[in-house]
Amino acid sequence: MEIKSTDRDDFRRVYDADYHLLVQVIMHIVYNLEIAEDLTQEAFERFYVKNMTFPSEDDARYWLIRVAKNLALNHIRRNKREIEMVEKVKRMPSAAADERDGASEAIERENREEVRRAIDALPENLRMVIQLKEFSGLDYKSISKVLGISETNVKVRVFRARKKLEEALRGEEDVY
Amino acid sequence: MCIDAQMLSAYLDGELAEPYRTQVKEHLEHCPACRRHLEDMKAVGDRIRSAEYPDELLDRNKDRIFALLDSKYFQNGRKVSFIRRRLEISIPSLVTAAAAVVFIFIGSFMFFGTSGEQTGEILPSFAVQAGSGSVRYVSDEASLDNFTLEEILHYLDSKGYNVDISIKGLQPLETPAE
Repeated sequence: MEIKSTDRDDFRRVYDADYHLLVQVIMHIVYNLEIAEDLTQEAFERFYVKNMTFPSEDDARYWLIRVAKNLALNHIRRNKREIEMVEKVKRMPSAAADERDGASEAIERENREEVRRAIDALPENLRMVIQLKEFSGLDYKSISKVLGISETNVKVRVFRARKKLEEALRGEEDVY
Repeated sequence: MCIDAQMLSAYLDGELAEPYRTQVKEHLEHCPACRRHLEDMKAVGDRIRSAEYPDELLDRNKDRIFALLDSKYFQNGRKVSFIRRRLEISIPSLVTAAAAVVFIFIGSFMFFGTSGEQTGEILPSFAVQAGSGSVRYVSDEASLDNFTLEEILHYLDSKGYNVDISIKGLQPLETPAE
């Protein structure tokens, strides 16, 4: 079904279907919910303002993910220093935070940190593919449409990313 | 012969075409090594996905943001006029441009060590603002005019401040064309 980005019903349908996915994609790049929400809003504003017609809902989704991903990557590049500073502060040992969170949340946060470190260590071309695969649940074809690469290329990159992540995560376990 | 790891990875994603899918499936039934390999791969995937953020957290502002977009673009079934949209885009960038100009001026005073009077000569309006309490003095000792920018940076650095001086270009963001 054709999607017109300035049609309210179409817009609403796409928004309902893809909002969650976009926040998830952006969140795993910027790791900050406020910023992820801002950028998601920005992506939908561009969607409307561009006044485009898409052949299907899927095509609208690919376009949105691409825009969201670019907005997030641009945000990271522009604010590298500020982000590093915030991270430094966040990593400072804070007993109060641990007490407040309780044990299970502390473990969850620790796990998220480990996964994040492993993913951040991947080269960018692998990182994006595995994030779209694991967090967004997209199939190879969708990922190839979003990133503008072939499906074979997606397959190879997913595999390489997995291999590297396996090594990285196993390495971490050895430390503890 | 055992299965190529890349094929196994595609099999795990349900992306392996026939007849390979059936071949892999049959092989797995009698090959513990490949089964373990597949399990390991699956475990990595599970581990990665365990870092997903919970739905209710990600969706906490979904309705609010939709309401915002709805009122901005669709309220009363009326589209935002071209001129209004242009204005919405141009005002923030004007502010940014103005801020950049002010920063460049401040920067140049630090470089050349001008005194307050000179500031007034070069940019009277700024001198008035600077004197009116809108500027917070970090140090009440002798004026910073006596130091070069390099010395100031060195001092801040030695105190452990993360100093960042940046020049921002006002280039619009690229979006992929469809």
